Amino acid sequence: MARAAPARSGGEARPHLSFARLVRRFPDGVRALDDVSFDVPNGEFCVVLGRSGSGKTTLLRSVNGLTELDGGTVRLGETAMSRSTLRDIRRRVAMVHQSFDLVERASVAANVLSGGVAEAPAWRVMLGWYPADLRARACGVLHRVGLDEIHLPRRASALSGGQQQRVGIARALLLDPEVILADEPVASLDPAISREILTLLRDVARERGATVLCSLHQTDLARDFADRIVGMRHGRVVFDGPPARFDAAAEAALYGSADTQARPAPRLIEDRIYA
Amino acid sequence: MPDRRTNEGPAMAARAPGEWRLPAPYGWRAALAALLIGLALIWSAQRVEIDRMLRLTGEAALAQVGLQQESQVGRGLGRMFGALFPFAIEDRQEVARLPGLDRDALPRFTRIEAIETTRYEMNSDTLQAEPVVERKEYLVHPFGYLLKVLDKMVETFEIAVWATIIAVILSVPLAILGARNYTPHPALYAASRSLVSFLRSMPELIIAMFLVLGYGFGSIAGYLALGLHGAGFLGKFYAEDIESADRKPQEALTALGAGKLRVLRAAVLPQVAPAYVAYTLYILDRNVRMAAVIGLVGAGGIGQELKGRYDLFEYGHVGTILLAIFLTVFALDQVSARLRARLIG
Repeated sequence: MARAAPARSGGEARPHLSFARLVRRFPDGVRALDDVSFDVPNGEFCVVLGRSGSGKTTLLRSVNGLTELDGGTVRLGETAMSRSTLRDIRRRVAMVHQSFDLVERASVAANVLSGGVAEAPAWRVMLGWYPADLRARACGVLHRVGLDEIHLPRRASALSGGQQQRVGIARALLLDPEVILADEPVASLDPAISREILTLLRDVARERGATVLCSLHQTDLARDFADRIVGMRHGRVVFDGPPARFDAAAEAALYGSADTQARPAPRLIEDRIYA
Repeated sequence: MPDRRTNEGPAMAARAPGEWRLPAPYGWRAALAALLIGLALIWSAQRVEIDRMLRLTGEAALAQVGLQQESQVGRGLGRMFGALFPFAIEDRQEVARLPGLDRDALPRFTRIEAIETTRYEMNSDTLQAEPVVERKEYLVHPFGYLLKVLDKMVETFEIAVWATIIAVILSVPLAILGARNYTPHPALYAASRSLVSFLRSMPELIIAMFLVLGYGFGSIAGYLALGLHGAGFLGKFYAEDIESADRKPQEALTALGAGKLRVLRAAVLPQVAPAYVAYTLYILDRNVRMAAVIGLVGAGGIGQELKGRYDLFEYGHVGTILLAIFLTVFALDQVSARLRARLIG
């Protein structure tokens, strides 16, 4: 498929995704992103690691504009994210979600094809009759993620969690994205399936030369799959480097003891509930 | 977290079961509310003559079992119900009023019946009452009236179907404008919601009465009135389902660059479709019943026929019509239950 993005031909050194001084404040004053800056080169499998609440999801959602920023710039290749470039960026960036976010009552085929609604003519979308090339591509990506023709008419809710995430990946691949955002893609799957799904995600991204920004909270998975790990804590980047450098000290800094002071608060609430 | 409770020891001092306090089944507030509602109902009961209703119903029941001579309710209803039977099936027309009738080639199934009636008339010469025999000929169709009722019933059903179509067509855009998460502008949201409330608050009988003034007697006023009222229902229900549909798939498609209408079609419609089918079938069901009623104000269908016969005291015909309405509603119930099960399943 012909690609509009000039960034891809620009060699490895050129950043594909670049974050510059991102800030996101919640109304209660908590900073979900606190001066986050780093670049992701073309084709890298970059894992954002951290506890829940560390700002991983906010970072990922800032790439396709699902979360608005209070400061800083996100760039995709040469394009800076803004209101006017939002549509264009969203078509080049796909997302895979923690709870799969499929339309549960719709068939697997309809779910995958729904990934292409932005490209299909409106009347075809309304009739649910997608163009032949889109349908052919849907079959192709479904086959690639390991599903078969028998799955096509099944409802998404009838599939297992692992299969649902495969459909989610197929939907994300349909428009051949240059960046794949994976927001805790295996958080609701068991360990063996998690590895299968991450392997699949890494392989399809490599085949297509797509850059992956994947948030995880499991360090072992991050070590095994990442080209690079970005560790986040309290909205800040506290580690950035290859998995080989992510040692026990780095892990402690990411998940470490300083966080235990946050624990008494929920305990207090529970005491009140059950008192 | 049930396991948490086990180590909550110090927070709650252990007491002997005899000292445990069970939570009260209701508080004083609920008791007070019940008391106030009770008082309000007693006050209201007098205004709507509940006591008289009970007395008259009791009298009618006693009269039925022979313990009382007669009752007002029994008299009124009894005369009416007695006259409903037998149901009028045949259709008869006076031949004298059918100038074009060819006696050698009568319409199918019909026959000519002659009825002789004897009347006493004062002879002006003899000043005595003398019998005069009058012979009237009727063209009788043995089940002509049944056919006419069937035809009217089909018309009623057509009114209901078109009313439903109009309601759906009107309410889909109203629902999109009236869904908080899809409305293009808060002002349009407010306008749509108020229009829908307004349509819902206008009884279809009243809308039909006004429309009859504009469109004349007949089915146009009927289906327009039912369609407008139905849009008031569907617009509200459709909009609420759009609002409460699972947001996650919608966000997933938004993230892939889809616009609002496409997200509605691809991520919302599959979720709300079963409920929409159920609502729409309910409105169709309701329209069939109401189509029989709005005929009373001249808005076409079987109600118009019913009203005409009722006013002429032709209760046998009224009986046939009521039976037809009942059978239609009953059949529709069966069909729509099955349809709903298949489409939603």
